[in-house]
Amino acid sequence: MSGRSTPAQNGSQRRSQNLSQIRKAQMNDARPQSRNSNNVLTSLRATQIVASKPVLPAELIATILDYLPVPDLMRFALVSRRLNEMVYDDTRWTQKLRNMGLWNENEARQRFDEAVKRKADAQRAKEMDEARRTGANLPGSVNGVAGGGGRPHAGSETLFDAGVEEERHRKSIERAAVKRRATFSDGFDESTTSPGMLKAAWDPSIALNVLKTFKSIRGKARLEFGRVYGALNPLYTDLARCKGHSDALVFRSYRDPEEQAQILANLKRFAQCDSAQGWQSREQKLDSMIGVFENAVLREFEQGYAAGDVDGRMQRYAHVLVTINGGNAAIDAFISNHPVMARNIRAGNPLDCLEAVAPGHVDLGASQAFFEKLASMMVEQAGIADRVFPRDVDILTPFLTQLCEEIIADYLTALFDEAHLKGIETYVKAVSGTFEQSLRFVASLVPTKASPRDFRHAAKVSVTQCYEKHIDLYLLEEMSVFRSKSEAEVGHWEKEQMDQEASSEAFFMSNINRQAAKRDFLSSFKKVVMMPVNVLPAFPLSSPFASARPAAAANNTTAALAGVDTAYSRPRTPTLSDSATPNRISTPAPEPPSTELAAKAAIMNSRLEGIKSLFSIEVALNLTHFAKTSLERAANMVRMGGKQGEEARQQCEIIFVTMLGILGDRHIKNGFDKAVGHLGAYNPRQVREFRAKAMAGEDLEGEAIGVEPLVTFLELVNVGDLIQQMVDVFYAQELVATKLTDRDDFLDPAVKEKKRFEQMLDERVAAGLNKGIDVLMDEVEYICASTQQATDFNPGIDKAGEKNSSTNSGVVDIGPSNTAKQVITMIGGHTSMLVGSTDKNMLDIFMQEVGLRLFGVLCKHFKRQRISVDGAIKIISDINHYSAFISTLRQKPLMPYFQALRELGQIYLVQIDPPAAYFGGPKNGKRVSVFSTKLSKTAMQAKELAAIIADTQRYCGVLTTEEVFEFATRRADWLVVKGDVEGAMYGVGCSVM
Amino acid sequence: MSAEAADQQVKLVSSDNVEILTERKVAERSMLIKNMIEDLGAPGEEPIPIMNVSEAVLRKVLEWCTHHKNDPAPTQDDDADSRKKTTDIDDWDQKFMQVDQEMLFEIILAANYMDIKALLDVGCKTVANMIKGKSPEEIRKTFNIQNDFTPEEEEQIRRENEWAEDR
Repeated sequence: MSGRSTPAQNGSQRRSQNLSQIRKAQMNDARPQSRNSNNVLTSLRATQIVASKPVLPAELIATILDYLPVPDLMRFALVSRRLNEMVYDDTRWTQKLRNMGLWNENEARQRFDEAVKRKADAQRAKEMDEARRTGANLPGSVNGVAGGGGRPHAGSETLFDAGVEEERHRKSIERAAVKRRATFSDGFDESTTSPGMLKAAWDPSIALNVLKTFKSIRGKARLEFGRVYGALNPLYTDLARCKGHSDALVFRSYRDPEEQAQILANLKRFAQCDSAQGWQSREQKLDSMIGVFENAVLREFEQGYAAGDVDGRMQRYAHVLVTINGGNAAIDAFISNHPVMARNIRAGNPLDCLEAVAPGHVDLGASQAFFEKLASMMVEQAGIADRVFPRDVDILTPFLTQLCEEIIADYLTALFDEAHLKGIETYVKAVSGTFEQSLRFVASLVPTKASPRDFRHAAKVSVTQCYEKHIDLYLLEEMSVFRSKSEAEVGHWEKEQMDQEASSEAFFMSNINRQAAKRDFLSSFKKVVMMPVNVLPAFPLSSPFASARPAAAANNTTAALAGVDTAYSRPRTPTLSDSATPNRISTPAPEPPSTELAAKAAIMNSRLEGIKSLFSIEVALNLTHFAKTSLERAANMVRMGGKQGEEARQQCEIIFVTMLGILGDRHIKNGFDKAVGHLGAYNPRQVREFRAKAMAGEDLEGEAIGVEPLVTFLELVNVGDLIQQMVDVFYAQELVATKLTDRDDFLDPAVKEKKRFEQMLDERVAAGLNKGIDVLMDEVEYICASTQQATDFNPGIDKAGEKNSSTNSGVVDIGPSNTAKQVITMIGGHTSMLVGSTDKNMLDIFMQEVGLRLFGVLCKHFKRQRISVDGAIKIISDINHYSAFISTLRQKPLMPYFQALRELGQIYLVQIDPPAAYFGGPKNGKRVSVFSTKLSKTAMQAKELAAIIADTQRYCGVLTTEEVFEFATRRADWLVVKGDVEGAMYGVGCSVM
Repeated sequence: MSAEAADQQVKLVSSDNVEILTERKVAERSMLIKNMIEDLGAPGEEPIPIMNVSEAVLRKVLEWCTHHKNDPAPTQDDDADSRKKTTDIDDWDQKFMQVDQEMLFEIILAANYMDIKALLDVGCKTVANMIKGKSPEEIRKTFNIQNDFTPEEEEQIRRENEWAEDR
C-alpha cells in the first residue's frame, strides 16, 4: 500500500540513467573505491529517484517530507511524478488526520468495504454493458476490480466517488502504464468542496463546521485534509503571525463568542497536525490566544454567576467554555464560586456535635443538619447545572468530589479529632454515625442529565474516600471500646459477685448472730429460695425457642414470634426484660427502703441473689448490647466496600469473637465452675440445720424442698441456655443477616468461636449435672435418713411401744409416706427445671442417671428399714409413688428397675404365721419341723415366699435372687421365718438334689 | 557500562580503508556499531569496518557523536508519535550542518546506515529547511531532478493544491 515503496518497483526503468549518473559522479569524485561492486546500498541506490551526486533513498526523502509544511509539500509534488506520488501517498495524510483526532479507521474501513462492493457491482454492470457493445465476452469479470483498474476511465463519472478514489489508489501501483491525466481529473471533479472554490471565497462558516463534516475515506485522505486545511490554515497562520488578540483574524471574522470558541477549538485540533519547523511557537501562540479568550469568557461567566443569571449569561458562556476545551474552567468556576465551596457560608460547625452532650455521646443531629444542608445544596446545584451546562458535560461528579475533598473531609476531620480528644467512645459514635449520614447524603443526591450512569457509585466512592484515613483508627478504637466496656462490665460484676459471695457466706455463718434482722428478711429469703420453683419453669419458656409454651406466655410468645428478628438483637425489648425481671425480683425496689430493717433486708436480698446468679443474664445482655452497638457501627463501615469494607467486616467478626470470649470464658465459664464447686461442697445437713432454724417460726406446709446449689446450677443451665440462644440469635441477626459472615463457612473465626462457646457451655452443663446428680442423691439419702420413721413400714413396733397412745392404729394409711412424697417433690422439682432448657440427649442421660441412682438409693434405704406385713402396704404405695414419678420421666430403660422394685414390695406382703414352736421351741425344734415331711402352715407360707424370692422372672433380671433374698431379710418377722424360708429356698434345692 | 568500558577505544575502518580510533562511548551512538561491538565481544582488538562511509564523512559523523555522546540513549518507541515531539534544531547542530549539499546528503546516508536516529533527524530537518519556500524548479535544481510532467499535468496539480498556498 505504501507509496514510499513504489519507486523501488518502478525505478528499474530509470536505473540506466541513475547508474550513468553515479558513474559520472564517481569519476568526478575520483574516489578509489568502487561503490557498486560490494556495496549493500547498491540496490537501494539503484532505486533512487533522481538525485544529484549522492542520492537519497526514498525512505529518507519521505522522512524529509515529514518535516515540511504543507505548502512546500505541495510544491514538492510538482517536482516530478515520483515525488508527486510520495507526497500524495494516503498514509501521509491519514497520519496528519489521525494527529488531529479526525481519522476514524473503522469508518474508513466500512466505507472501503462498501466501496469495494459497489465497485464490483458497477464494474460487472459496466463490463456487461461493454460486452454488449463490443460483442465480445470479456473474461475479466472474475477479477473485475483489477481488470477495471487497467482501463481508461471513460465511465468513471457514473461511479461513486469512493469507488473512484479506491480505484485510483489501486492504480497508483501500476500507474506507469496508466494515463495519468484521467486519474488526476476524476479524483477532484466530484469533490464537493473544491479546493479551488475555497481559495476563491474563503467562507468563515465553513471553517466552523469543517471538522464536523469530516469523513474518513481511504484514498481520499489528502482531499479531506485539503478541505480542513483550506478552511483552518488561513486562521492558523494568521494567529501565529499576529501580534495581539485584537487584530487576529479569528476574532475579526467571528463576532459570536460561541463561534469564536468553536473555531478556536478547531484550530487547537488542527495544530496537532503541524509538525513542520516552529510548530512549538505556533502552538504556544494558539494556546495563549485560547487562554486570553477563555479568561474573557470566564469573567463573563463569573459575572453571570454573581448576578445569578442562570439561563442567560451563565448558560451561554458555559456552553462557550465547553466548546473551547471541554469547559473545565467553567466547571472549576462553577464549583469554586459556590458559597459553600468558597467558604463564605459554613454548612455546619463540627464542634456543634460535641457541645452540650454527655461524655461518651455525640450529638448527631448537628452533623445530620450539615449533611442535609449539603444534600439540598447539591440537589439545587444539580438543577442549575442542568440548565447551565450542555448535556454531555458532567459537572456534578467533580463538584461532589471537590465537596467531599474539601468541605466534608475538613468537617469530618475536625469533628473526629475533637471527638477523639473527648473520648474514644465519642469518637467511634461520631465516625459511624456520620458515615451513615453521609451514605444517606449520597442516596439523596439527584444526578444531573449529564451525570454518568454510575454516578451514585462514584458519589459513594468519593464520600467514602473521606473516611479512608479514619477507618483504620476507627476500627482499632471500636475494638478497644468494645473490649474495655465489656471487660469493665464483667469485671464490675465479678467484683460485685465476690463481695456478695463473701457476704453471703458470712451470712450463712453468722446468721445466728443476726437474730434481730432475721425475721424481717426471712420472707424475702424464702422468696429467693422458692424462686427457682416458682419462676424457673416459666423461665425458659419466655424464650421463643423453647419447645413448650404455656398459655401464660402465649401473649409474649406471639409477640416474640412476630418480632423474632428483634427480640434478642434488641436486648431492651419487653420479651427479655420480662424474663429478666423475675430473675431480679428480689433486687431492691426502686423506692428507697424506709426503715433500717427494710434496708437491711434489701441488702440481704440483693446479696442472696448472688448465690444463685453466678453469672448474670443481665451482664450477658449488656455484653451483647455493647457488641451490637459496636457491630452496628462497624457494619456501617462495611458499606465502604473494597479493602476498607473487608477490614471492617473482619472487625465485625472479631468483635463477635471477642464478645463470645468475654461472655463465655470470663463470665459463664467462671459462673459454671463456681456453681460446680458449690455443688461439690454441698453439705445437706448443714444447710438443713440452718434452714430448720430459719423456718422455725414459719409453717412448713407447702415448703418446697430445694438443694440450693443444684437449684442454682439448674438455673445457671437455664440462664446459660438462654444466653446461648441469645448469642445464636445475635449471630444470625447481626452477622449472618447483614451478610457480615457466612454461616456455612466452617473456617470462619466467628463460626468457630461460636461453636467453641456452645461446646464450652455444654461441657460445663454436663460436668455440673454430674455433680448435681451426686448432690441430688445426697439429698435424697438425707431425706430418707432423716424423715423416714421406723414406724412407717413397721407399725407393729409403734403398737408394741405405745399401745395406748395411738387411737386409730388399726387404720392403715395407704398413701405413700411423707418421705417418699418429699423425695419425689424434690427430685421432680429439680428435673422439671431442666426440661426445655437442656439438650434432649443430655436431659435423657440426666434423667436415666437420676432414675438409676434413685433406684440404688432406694434399695439401700429399704435395706435399712425393717418392714412388717402391715407396713408392706406403706412400702408398696411408696414404691408405686416412686415408679409413678419415674414413668413421668418417660425413660424406657428405667422402667424395669422400678417394675422390679414393685414386685419386690410383694415379698413383704406375704403373711407368714409364726411357727408354733417359735416362742418355746429351741433351734432344733425348727429343724425338726423342717425335716419333718409334714409341712406346717408356716412352712407352706415360707415356701411361697421363697418361690417369690427365687422367681427371677419377676424382677426383670434387675435383681438377682441373692439380692431379693437380702431384701427379704428386712422383713420384720425375718428372724422368725428365716429358717423356714431358707429351708424352703435351699430345701427345694436340696430335695431336688 | 562501566567507566572502563566507556573509556575504551575502538578502531573504525572507513570505506576507503582509513583507520580511525575513537572512544567506545562515542562510537556507540551508532546503533550499528553498538550492536557490532556487542556481537564481537572483544572491542578494541579488531577494527570495525564501516563499509559505506568514507573517511571524511565518518570523521564528520564522529564529530557529531562526540558532541552528543552524553545525550540520553535513543528510545525505541514508535516514531509515529515522536515525530510530533521532535524539536527544532539546536544551534550547534545548525552550525554543524552548514556544509555543502553533497556532504549533507552523505551525512544523512551515513546516519541512516550507521543507525544514528538523532543525526538522521537533524539531517532531514536541515534538508526540509533547505526546501522550504523554494519553487518546484528550485527544488529540482537542488536535488537534480528532472521534470517529467507535461505543462498540463503541472497545471492540474497546481490547481488541485491551491488550498495549500499561503495567503
